[in-house]
Order: sequence, then structure tokens, then C-alpha cells
Amino acid sequence: MATNYLYSIRDHQFILKEWLDLEKILNYDRFKDVYTVDDVDAILTESFRAAKEVVAESNDENDTIGVIFDNGKVKVPPKMKEAYHFIQDNGWGSCNSDKNYEGALPRVIYEAVLEYIFGANEGLACYYMATSGATELIQLFGDEHLNNLFAEKMFSGKWSGTMCLTEPNAGSDVGSMASRAYPTDTSGKYRIKGTKCFITGGEQDFTENIVHLLLARIEGAKPGTSGISLFAVSKYWVNEDGSLGDINDVACAGVEHKLGMKGSATCVMNFGENNDCYGWLLGSPPDEDGRAAGMAQMFHMMNGARLEMGVGSMAAAGVAYYNAANYAKERIQGRKMTDPKKGLVAIIEHEDIRRMLLHQKAHIEAMRALVAWIYYIMDVAENSTDDEERKIYKMLLDINTPIAKAYNSDVSWILTGDAMQVYGGYGYSEEYPIAQLMRDVKIHSIWEGTNYVQAIDLVGRKWNIGKGQGFAYWLKHIEDFIEKEKNHPYFSREINILTAALSSYKKLKDTLSSYPQAGKAEFLGLYATRVLHATAQLLCGRLILEQAIIAHNKLENLPEDHYDYPFYQGKVEAAKYYLRNVVTGIEAVTAKISEPDSSPLDIMEEAFFA
Amino acid sequence: MKVLVCVKQTFDTEAKIELKDGKISDAGINLIINPYDEHAVEGAIQLKEKKVVSEVVVLSAGADKSMDAIRTALAMGADRGILVKQDIAADEYSRAVALAAAIKEENPDLILAGHVAADDGSSQVPTRIAEILGLPHVNVITSVEIADGKATCSSEADGGTQVTEVTLPAVISAQVSWNEPRYPSMKGIMQAKKKPVATVDAVATEDKVKIVEFSLPPAKEAGIKLEDDPDVCAAQLADFIKNTAKAEIKA
Repeated sequence: MATNYLYSIRDHQFILKEWLDLEKILNYDRFKDVYTVDDVDAILTESFRAAKEVVAESNDENDTIGVIFDNGKVKVPPKMKEAYHFIQDNGWGSCNSDKNYEGALPRVIYEAVLEYIFGANEGLACYYMATSGATELIQLFGDEHLNNLFAEKMFSGKWSGTMCLTEPNAGSDVGSMASRAYPTDTSGKYRIKGTKCFITGGEQDFTENIVHLLLARIEGAKPGTSGISLFAVSKYWVNEDGSLGDINDVACAGVEHKLGMKGSATCVMNFGENNDCYGWLLGSPPDEDGRAAGMAQMFHMMNGARLEMGVGSMAAAGVAYYNAANYAKERIQGRKMTDPKKGLVAIIEHEDIRRMLLHQKAHIEAMRALVAWIYYIMDVAENSTDDEERKIYKMLLDINTPIAKAYNSDVSWILTGDAMQVYGGYGYSEEYPIAQLMRDVKIHSIWEGTNYVQAIDLVGRKWNIGKGQGFAYWLKHIEDFIEKEKNHPYFSREINILTAALSSYKKLKDTLSSYPQAGKAEFLGLYATRVLHATAQLLCGRLILEQAIIAHNKLENLPEDHYDYPFYQGKVEAAKYYLRNVVTGIEAVTAKISEPDSSPLDIMEEAFFA
Repeated sequence: MKVLVCVKQTFDTEAKIELKDGKISDAGINLIINPYDEHAVEGAIQLKEKKVVSEVVVLSAGADKSMDAIRTALAMGADRGILVKQDIAADEYSRAVALAAAIKEENPDLILAGHVAADDGSSQVPTRIAEILGLPHVNVITSVEIADGKATCSSEADGGTQVTEVTLPAVISAQVSWNEPRYPSMKGIMQAKKKPVATVDAVATEDKVKIVEFSLPPAKEAGIKLEDDPDVCAAQLADFIKNTAKAEIKA
């Protein structure tokens, strides 16, 4: 069995109790009578225990059993089923997305729960995250009738949910989808016909019903994304009294055989092959110009999923890192370059191993700071009573969502490679845990909108959100931090790096933004991914440095033999590493954009095959 | 019918033990309910779910930190808790005396506990409590049925099963095969905050046992790598096996 779930809750304790102003969130009406900061430890401890002792136990079956497709039915590994229901039944799952549930955790705390479960079983986490997101859509956009039909059973996990966007000929270009919806005599009820692919949990055998949140075009609606509507289409028709009716002409045509997450059923789904599939429209039909709200509605779920992928990918990298660090401490191999007479040493004493470990640790803590900060923003955006604050935080949330999704998934894939490198040849073996983590994590950069889609979203839309006001706040968040800490006596080098990076980034943004007007829009596409990474590095540098300042203050009052000294010392060194080795790279990106290289466009297409 | 469950807070079984000033240091250690006691808590909750008992009270003796163990048991489903404040270094005799005093105040029909603590493994406290209170004691049980003021217990014996019967009140200590302890749910954690926990001071006693010294096992040493001509290495290896490892060699 290769799974070895190693993780720590200490950084989350730091984030929630020492870094972010959690009191601000817990004082909102929704939480003030339910949670206090004193609850954090118990929530982290027990959710981590659930992840470690129950969820991680199911992880091997992703690989050893996987999903089995047989004559339209999908069998999911037995321990995955048990773990799914355990998470849902014990309050760690979809109920936390129910805005009417008193015990729902604040998003910033739930981030930790999500991270533990993702790290314990990436394939399993996707089943109930899809359920959570789908049910949120019904709660948000469905009328009372639809909520009565679906919401309670989905939030409890008795029924699952899916997100049905992609079609065989409509992937990133969602607007060209072919699925159709035809009105019936019943208001809000439509006949559905279409095929969807890459549907996570499209079919499985652990819930009695599956509710698909499906995009389709109502006859007469506009072409492209603006004419798409959103429907709730259940596997079994749900009668008005809540009981299950007949199969709703929803059929699974097959499952994908994938690199990783093999216990997560990725399905091809046919809706209405026999013209007998029906669904309920969420919201209103298209207006007189044929404009429909479905794509915007679906983006609520999509954006939630994008953030979750930022968490899920980081969690896989985290498990890989902790395993690599433990292995490096145990593995005796070679002598120290600087002291060969010392004899054989554990590889953690070798310079390059230490570099790789700190490279992982620094990135993971930076990414965790990023997602925790974003979920904090989401809590404010959803709960603040100050209209202006809500508006600003909503813009910040919109800006940061593609950043977290794409940066974390791109980086985590590379970090699992670093973890494998620490192991040497054993890491490449399936007997050790890294190989599966590496295979599992890759999908996060591809699905929920590829990372290029995220990058274009950032430079094409999010830079200009609120006529540029949103990104001005985003930059101000960094500027204010630098102003506050500009004379910090210990971190002067890192503050200088961040200051230079911010200045460079502004130049980068101005330069890239000028290209379309100069008739060079292609550079936007050519540099978008690198700009997204630079954007993430700038923000992560600010966040992780703020954490390091707190950690440094703690160190000044702790003896070196205090049990928590290594934690704080590690945070300081991780921030130094990130600023000095990662954030410094932003200026190089700016230089490349200032003098752009068009060779990827200049190369003859035939030359790729010569 | 009231059942009282004794729980001890112990180190996480995966915790790295370190000594400081000659004593085991709990600094930075994750503390948990003694895993054996969890089975007793679970057993009590199941008895309540079967409506055999009406109240499950959790009792722990130790420092303020032991409150976390009580809260965990409450999150699993126990009704209320009692923390007997006592020096964590108290020996098994003092611990049993303190717990017995609190039990006497509560006058329960049944006292449950794990049969051993995962940290010191002494297996003394439940037996001592029974002795102090003059109650019957059944150890390492794997099931219990309560009826007509009696407890019928099963336990493992020489590869088979032994069935015993005691009149209540009695002290019964659990074997791990009794049940599968539940995990605290999110709802349980929040409900536990509202459940009452009383704090009392331990009755004064004098320990009967003094721990003289703690020591850790010697650190694992790196292996020896022989680097020479094959015949030299073989001779060195043979010498190592014979004279250092002193392995018995059979033809």
C-alpha cells in the first residue's frame, strides 16, 4: 500500500489564530453565536483525524481497484463509498455549503478541512465538492420548488451532484455546445437532449440519486455563451412529494481511463437518448433578445471549484513534501561535501536535498497563505454588513480566484516532482506514495478551465474589473504592507525585494496592457501564463512575508529549545527563501515582456514536425 | 441508570517522546483520549442509544489539559463531564483514590474504563478503583449486556470466550475488540461546548510509587559500509558476524 498520509495542522493554527483576523469573521451575524476562536483547535484536530484515519484509508483503492464501468453502471471502490458517507454524515462535507445551516463553518476555517481531505484522497474529495457546488447553485438560483426537491438531500450527501459543461466538441469553448432544452407544458420543466463528457461523478453506485447541473441552449436562445441556460437534471425523476420516480433517460456511456484519480468516475453522459429526459430550469428563461443566465450562474460553481482546485493541488504537494522530508531524514546515503570524514549521513544533510525541501515548504506555505487569504476575503464578501467593503472584497475575490487555481496547480505539479527527486529511484516506484500524488495532482491544471483560460481571465478581465478599481485595491493591499513594514530591521532585504517586484510588476502590467492597442494582442496570449505566475508570486511574497514578521516576533520571546521554535524559525526561513529565490524572478518576466520574444509565433507550423 | 466512564489523556501514539530535565516532556505533543478508554466511551454511548442507560458521565483526573479529553468524549456523545484536578505525575494509587472519591459522589450504576493506558501501560487504575469502592471488577471485556441489575460480560480467555456475571454497581474495563469508537462529528464538537463539565480538586493522598529515572532507547546507528577488495570485505563481514553481532551460524 503506497499511501502514507503525512500532514500537519500547525500552519493552519498559525493562520487562523496568529495571522488572520478571525474574530472579524466570527463576529458576523451568521457565526457570532456559533463559533469562537477557541473552537479552532478542536475543528482542525478532529477533521484532520477523520482525514487521516478514515479518508486516507480509502486512497489506495483509487489505484488498486479504481472505477469499474459495466453495461452503463459504474462501481466505485468500496472504501471510497464508505469514506464519502463518513465525510457527509459527520458534518465535514456538503452541509458546509448550505447558507441556511447554522453549523456551517466559515470558509476560511473550512479551507483547512478541505485541504486535509483532498490530501488524504484527491479522488474522493472531488465527489463531494461537486455535490457541494451543485447544491449551492440550486440554493442560490433555484426557486422554492427546486430547493424543496433537491437541496436538503444534496447538502446531506444522500444525493450527489455534478457539473455538466464539457461536450465532445465544446471544451474550453463552452459557447459552441450542442446540448438543447425544449419547453414543455409545465412551467420551468424542459426536455433535455445532449451529450456531456468529463463529468466527475456522472454515474456512481453510492448515492440513490445524482443531480446534474447541466448547461444547454433553449430553442431560440442566442448562440455562444450568452444564450446558455442552466438546468437541474436528476438521474431518477424526483416526484413532487420528494420520492424517486423512474430513470430520467440519463445514461452513462463510459468512463475515462486516466493518469490519476482512478477512483473518481469521469463519465461520458447521454441525456435524452430516448427523448425522455427532463430537467428544471434554474432562474428565468432567455429574455426577448435570447440572452440567458446559465453561464453566469454556472460560474458561481465554477469559481468555487477553481478555488478548491487551488486547495486540492496544494494538499497533494503537501503530502508529497512531508513524505519527502521524512524520507530524507531516514535515508542514509553519501557523505557531506563539506565534511567527508564525518561518515555517512542522512540525505537531509546534503545541500541540494535541503534546497529541494525548502523549495517545497516555502511554496506550500505561500500557496496556503494565498488560499486562506482568499477564503477570508470570501467570508468578508459574503457576510460584511458594509456595502462598500463587500463590493471591494468581491472584486478581490474575483481577481484572486484564477490566480489561486492556476498558480497552485502549476506549482504543485512541479513540487511533487521535487518530492520524487528527494527520494531518488524509490520515488519513481509505485511502492512509495509520491507517484500516485504526482499522477493525481496533474488534473488540477487542466480542468475547471485550463490554466491558460485562468491566465487570460486575469489579464483580459480581472485586471480591468470595476474599470480597474478592483486591481487598484489589489495593488494597494501590497503597497500598504510595504509602507507599514518598510523600515523593518530584520527583513529589510526581503522588503526591498518586494518593493522592487511591485514596481517591476506595475511596469509589466502597463507594458502588456499596451500591446493590444499597438496591434500586438498576440503578446497577451503569449505572456498571460507567465504574468499570472508573477502576479501570484507578488501576492504570495507579501502574504508569506507578513507571516514571517509575526513568526520572527514570536522567536524573539522563545528559547531555542522550545517545542515551537522550529515552527517559527521554519516560517522565517521559508519566507526568506520565497522572497529571495522566487519573487526576485518577477523582474525577469518584466524584462522579457518589455522586449517580447515572438519566436513561438514566428516558427513555421511545419517546423514543429520537421 | 447512570454510567460513568473514566478517561485518561495520553500522548498521541505517534508522538515522539522527548525528555527534558529527566522527565517526559509534553511540550508540543498532541494529546488524545487514551485509545483504550475510547472503547469504554463508545460502549457507554451505545448503551444509552439502546436506552439501557439514561446518562453518560465522563470523568478524568489530571491537569487542565485533560479537559480536552473530556470535551472529545462529550463530542462523541457523552452527556456531561467531571475533571478532577490532580498533578499529572500522580501514581496509579493516587489517581485511583482521586477518581474513586469523585465516583462515590456520583454514585453511578456502572463504571467503565479502558483496561490499560497507552502511555504507561500499568493496567492498575480500574482495578484499584473497584478495590477502593468495594465493587466487583471485570477486566478486558469484549461485550456487555445489562439486565435486572446485573452485567453479563464476555471476555477473551485462552483462545476462547469467558462469560462472567456481576451485580451492579461494578467496574468494567474494556478490551479494544468490544466496539469501534465513533469519531466526533462536527455537530458533536459544537454540542460538546454546551455540555456541563464540573471541576473538582483531587483528594489529598501520598503516592506509593516513585519514578526514579526515565531514559530513551539508544539512537539507531548508521550501517557500516565495507569498501575494499572483495576478499577483504568478506573477511571483515565474517568477523563482524562472528565477533560483533555474535550471530549463531548454522550449517
